[in-house]
Amino acid sequence: MLKKKTQTKESLNTKLLINLDILKERFSFGLNNDFSIRLITAKFNKHELCLAYYASLVNSDKIEQTIIQPLLEQGGDSLFDVVTAESITKIKELEELDDHINNGKVVLIIDGESFGHSIDVAQFQHRDISQSENESVVRGPKESFTESLHVNISLIRKQIRNRELITEVQKVGKRSKQDVQLMYLNSIVNDQLLDEIRSKLTQLDVDNVQNIELLEQFIEERPYSIFPTILYTERPDNAATYIDKGHVVLLMDSSAACLILPITFWAFIHNAEDRYARFLYGNFTRLIRFIALFFTSMISALYVALSNFHSEMIPPDLLFAVTAARERVPFPLIIEVLIMEIAFELIREAGIRIPNPLGPTIGIVGALILGQAAVEANIISPIIVIVSALSGLTSFAISDPSFNFTVRITRFIFIISAGFFGMFSLMIAFTLWFMYGASLKSFGVPYFAPLSPTYKSNSDTYFRKAIKKEKWRPGYLLPKDLQSSRTFERGKTK
Amino acid sequence: MKTISLSGLLILFILIGCEDMVEVDRQSYVIAVGIDVTDQDGIYAFTYQIANPEAGSTLAGIGAEQTPDETITVVGTDIMTATNTANSFVTKQIILDQTRVLIVSEALARSDQFLRVMQSAARTTEIRRSIQIIVSKEDASDFINNNLPVLEQRPHKYYQYMLSRAKETGIIPDADLHRFFQITEGDADLFLGIYATTTYDPKELDGSEDEFIAGQVPKEGGNATQFMGSAVFKEGIMIDRLTGEETRICNILDKTMNINELLANYPDPLAPEYQVATDVFLTDNPKVNLSYDSETNHATIDVTVPFEVKVLAIPSLIHYSQNENFKRTLRDAIEQYITDATDELIKKSQEAYRSDPFYWSIYIRRHFKDIPAYEEGDWHKNIYPNADITVNYQLKRLHFGKMLDDTKLDEVRD
Repeated sequence: MLKKKTQTKESLNTKLLINLDILKERFSFGLNNDFSIRLITAKFNKHELCLAYYASLVNSDKIEQTIIQPLLEQGGDSLFDVVTAESITKIKELEELDDHINNGKVVLIIDGESFGHSIDVAQFQHRDISQSENESVVRGPKESFTESLHVNISLIRKQIRNRELITEVQKVGKRSKQDVQLMYLNSIVNDQLLDEIRSKLTQLDVDNVQNIELLEQFIEERPYSIFPTILYTERPDNAATYIDKGHVVLLMDSSAACLILPITFWAFIHNAEDRYARFLYGNFTRLIRFIALFFTSMISALYVALSNFHSEMIPPDLLFAVTAARERVPFPLIIEVLIMEIAFELIREAGIRIPNPLGPTIGIVGALILGQAAVEANIISPIIVIVSALSGLTSFAISDPSFNFTVRITRFIFIISAGFFGMFSLMIAFTLWFMYGASLKSFGVPYFAPLSPTYKSNSDTYFRKAIKKEKWRPGYLLPKDLQSSRTFERGKTK
Repeated sequence: MKTISLSGLLILFILIGCEDMVEVDRQSYVIAVGIDVTDQDGIYAFTYQIANPEAGSTLAGIGAEQTPDETITVVGTDIMTATNTANSFVTKQIILDQTRVLIVSEALARSDQFLRVMQSAARTTEIRRSIQIIVSKEDASDFINNNLPVLEQRPHKYYQYMLSRAKETGIIPDADLHRFFQITEGDADLFLGIYATTTYDPKELDGSEDEFIAGQVPKEGGNATQFMGSAVFKEGIMIDRLTGEETRICNILDKTMNINELLANYPDPLAPEYQVATDVFLTDNPKVNLSYDSETNHATIDVTVPFEVKVLAIPSLIHYSQNENFKRTLRDAIEQYITDATDELIKKSQEAYRSDPFYWSIYIRRHFKDIPAYEEGDWHKNIYPNADITVNYQLKRLHFGKMLDDTKLDEVRD
């Protein structure tokens, strides 16, 4: 154990030849094709030196112009006078050396020095910034995160011009060390929360965490829970809004999204556009979305419960329509509902996986076969098509991909429980579902806060207030500064 | 352990699951139940009108010609057991929870058996408390069989529209099962059932449109069924029937009836051979002022009914709207006419029925300390028949509609 520790603390030698051997051995030089070592004699001190880097991670023009050319041609007192690259850091330990080279830096080791210099010339390849596809808005910024940490941070910083906006780096992974960036406002975020997140990240005992999607599953409290407890968003403006409130945002390279934590139930129902649209319009959308939430989770289950157990609750005209439609259908009603719901899920899954050119086929096959033909063949009744189409369609109003799954799984739970005792068992299932949700916590924050338990906040739950009336940061985050707007105070002193 | 308890729970679910489940297509929905007396005491004939859900359906695969209903009659001791008997030739489970009306023949309603049959209807959860009680002049089975509406062929729609429209005009009472038991068990007041018939027995025209009971309304064409007037029940036995106009007065004076607009005709005061058509609407509930003297067990009842009248037609073409004197005459005439008709009804109820169809006993209850004291006071026998009752109609406003003036007859025919 002790030996291992001293081994990892190994540092560089004063002799360049020994250092070169160390480098070649550590990075499997020769076998590893894109690892490059360049030897040159510097003009300013006539010493031999070597440059080590991954050719695939660096900008070769920049190496040539800011490092090699000055070293060969310029004279001066020290390395810092010669190399024109913008950042140079000293490194001593071999572990540091690994890190820097892996992160796309050039390590420069001069003969006779027992340390190296790391020069930032990294150029990771990534996609351009594109439009947000999963959380599209009509009114509001359209750009979304891309798979580059630097770009993503700049997209956020663009919206919060504040020196207190911290981008703190944490390493995760035992073998492949990845950077996780924590972004928060230092003067607002709760320190305990920050410590909890930091300790969660450092305690991770895995070899490699590739991206934010995997990181979410590593740090969440209840991996088996039906409810998500971390918000995943691809919108920089969304992230900036939450940072302003006192949340913490996690970013990683190679993820075109960020994680926001802690989070409450409401964040999954809300959409960025609710705030961008004017007060009345935004709240109208909210109303529609809550109706959609009710329909998508309940309507099939209610249909099963009412028609199988409480036919007296259905108005006669509708009841006779249902009965007439069912006269020639072979399956029990609950099986019928399940068939259509599963069919809808199949179309949905196939629609996501299908290659783009085949996309329209899904629509035709889905609508024709499942809708028309199945009804005409008396396999399912037309009423079921309406019910399941309604529940399927309304599920798209829940835009958060995680919560969308919650709702869709919930729907099946409700349908099956409605099949046992009708409304009675449906209400039991709903109560249990709701109780479980209310018992959840996301990094210490109750899931249904600020509705229950109540906290000082803008009470942005079902509906939002007018923007001018939003005066508080959410109290459940215990921010250092609770008040976000002082218009009210100023008015008072006047 | 965890697996055992989990699988135990699962088995529990499977064993008890779907206990009450009935598929909608395995039920027969009864829309109307008719009850008749038979030759034997305690045995009744039950008639069920079962709706055919496929009638009127536009679904593919269903033939165009579907009869809207099936009517069957079985004999039994009460509604629930008769339902089981009926299943010997009805294929599906007979369900009464969509039933809209309960039709009782006048012969049964007038016998003391009526309350016995109704008891079973109150006990079961299957029958709605909002089901309407209709008393038919002929046998209930004949009523159901002869009732052949042409436009609303689907029976539930027929009863829904027929009853709601007749109630809007005020010619029939609101007579649900709940009210029947409420009044009968309260042992005060009279319950009014809906009176209807399919037999046609026209009465000579004598002016007012509403002095009919069902079957007497002169008409041509249309369905044979008429809903008009009400059957008066005292202590669970039918004792008399009221005409449409009398029923309308009951509806006005009873604040528990949610009827606040009705159409009515009144004789034209200046040209008695004509009628004035009006839309009467109550602006407020009638104010019943009841003072009770416990020494003499005597009650004085003052009723004030504020109402407004919208004049719909003046066939005599007299210019009531323009002439203040005419207007006053019309006002007084309408008030007088209603007051007279009401006084007559009250006199009849005090002397012949010895109880009131207006549900007024609710105003006297507060004057008693407890129920035994109230029962001793006896609204039926003592208080109401001897009470001093004055009803005062207050016509608040007279509307003349969009056109103030009628056609000037002498100018048209010059």
